[in-house]
Amino acid sequence: MSNADELARRARLRVVELAARKAIHLGPALSLIDVLAALYTRILRRDPARPDWPERDLLVLSKGHGAYGLYAVLAELGVLTTDLNELPGHPSDGIPGIEAATGALGHGLSLASGLALGARLAGKDRRVYVITGDGELDEGSNWEAAQFAAHHRLGNLVAVVDRNRFQQEGDTEEVCALEPLADKWRAFGWRVGETDGHDITAIGDALNALRAGDTPAVLIAHTTKGKGVPFAEGDPSWHMGELDAVQHRIAVAALTTTA
Amino acid sequence: MRVALAPVLAAAVAADAGLITLGADGRALFQQVLEQNPRGYVDAGIAEANLVGVAAGLARSGLRPVAAAMAPFLVRRAYEQIRLDVCVPGLPVVLLGVGGGLGYGPLGPTHHATDDITLMSAMPGMKVYCPADAADAVSVMRAVLADASGPAYVRLSARPDPVLPPAASTGAPHAPRLLRDGDDVLIVATGRCVAEALDAADGLAADGVAAAVASVTTLHPFPATAIRELAGRRPLVVTAAESLAPGGLGPSTAEALGRRGPAVISLHTDHRYPPVASHQDLLRFYGVDGQSIRSAVLSYRNRKTREA
Repeated sequence: MSNADELARRARLRVVELAARKAIHLGPALSLIDVLAALYTRILRRDPARPDWPERDLLVLSKGHGAYGLYAVLAELGVLTTDLNELPGHPSDGIPGIEAATGALGHGLSLASGLALGARLAGKDRRVYVITGDGELDEGSNWEAAQFAAHHRLGNLVAVVDRNRFQQEGDTEEVCALEPLADKWRAFGWRVGETDGHDITAIGDALNALRAGDTPAVLIAHTTKGKGVPFAEGDPSWHMGELDAVQHRIAVAALTTTA
Repeated sequence: MRVALAPVLAAAVAADAGLITLGADGRALFQQVLEQNPRGYVDAGIAEANLVGVAAGLARSGLRPVAAAMAPFLVRRAYEQIRLDVCVPGLPVVLLGVGGGLGYGPLGPTHHATDDITLMSAMPGMKVYCPADAADAVSVMRAVLADASGPAYVRLSARPDPVLPPAASTGAPHAPRLLRDGDDVLIVATGRCVAEALDAADGLAADGVAAAVASVTTLHPFPATAIRELAGRRPLVVTAAESLAPGGLGPSTAEALGRRGPAVISLHTDHRYPPVASHQDLLRFYGVDGQSIRSAVLSYRNRKTREA
């Protein structure tokens, strides 16, 4: 197992421990951890000793309800040293490693567009990454931002869609269909990649392939909601939930066996 | 106001590379920025929610965004972005709402924004300004550009304004400005209603009533102490604003003066569906024009005379 895979496994264990203490957005946190592992180990320009290094790349978690996945990865990286249980259910300002407070859906792409434009205006060689949910793309503000970023040729902006195919009440295609999703992004003027969202090497390769270009890029990462916890995988009822003692034991065992 | 502000904004952008202006397919305010420094203007198109989100991202990058859109669409469509992306983190974004109040007249309720002051007053840390004429708008713009401590909302007019005496724009816009003195009543007005208050005071002089008129440009934080001092010993204070009451001039004035202070009559708009009418006629319809202010004072005086 690579270092990145091990980081992801340990981060999932942290999420499971939190879900044994209180109800959290479990499924959405688990689905995005491999994307985060790829970003933090291969893609983001950062200084491990200085999370606030001014030249760093930025990551905005637009699907703020995946917060515990991000906290867990930041804890594994040593950026976060506090008890994750004390952190809010959506990313807030003032938390080490958190670049922007999010939680209401459909805000992150605009924020990230402003950050990317700001970097360009300041002459900074900085890239801005933003992770959106798939259900989140129902919000029209995303498409305002998509049009804006393409028009202003924000080539330093990269979105990753956590395409786990579920939103709160079920299949995204049943609730309010998103497909053909890749074609929509292309039509808005974005460069588009697709990848297995749980193959960390493939995610990194796909993000590197999208690096060069003077238009914004999006990577659709096909993921499984609840990834790593067998009974929660692909089950939208685990969008939010708390693990009882038996479920906790099963989850820990599953994440330990794969080590 | 836009004509007066355009050169001020262009000069500010020329002087400060960190200043960036944004519009939503409305460039009148920024035409001179575009001509002199095209990189200083970003058009978001007709997409107010994204406009504000982008402005927040620019502010997080250390830039100083000044974003403008038509007031009704800015405050209503982008409400959540203003609240969560700008105000909760306390970012120094300047929002200019063009045509706040009833300025778009016969265009109807889609284009009226008598709720902008109310909505912006509910925002954490938001400073809210309602300049009374073009020169006052310039004084506000200079003040907000010099203050990077947090977000600001400025209601701007859609059409040319009445020109007020220089006292309406003298000095900083944070304190009330006394435009006319008189012992019988203090009329406190904001924005377009300042001109109406001066008209009312002229009429009241003919009625034998000496009315003082104060202009309040900064609605949040409200200059409560200064208003108390201005009210002095006058028995009556009348407020006038082309806005809904909550969070606006009337309640703030009443709170500043307290229960033991003078009587306070608050004139403000309400939720009645507007007729197809000019700005001036809409001020009359909602009871916030000069004649309505004058009538409110005279009614109060007649009631007191009967009681005495």
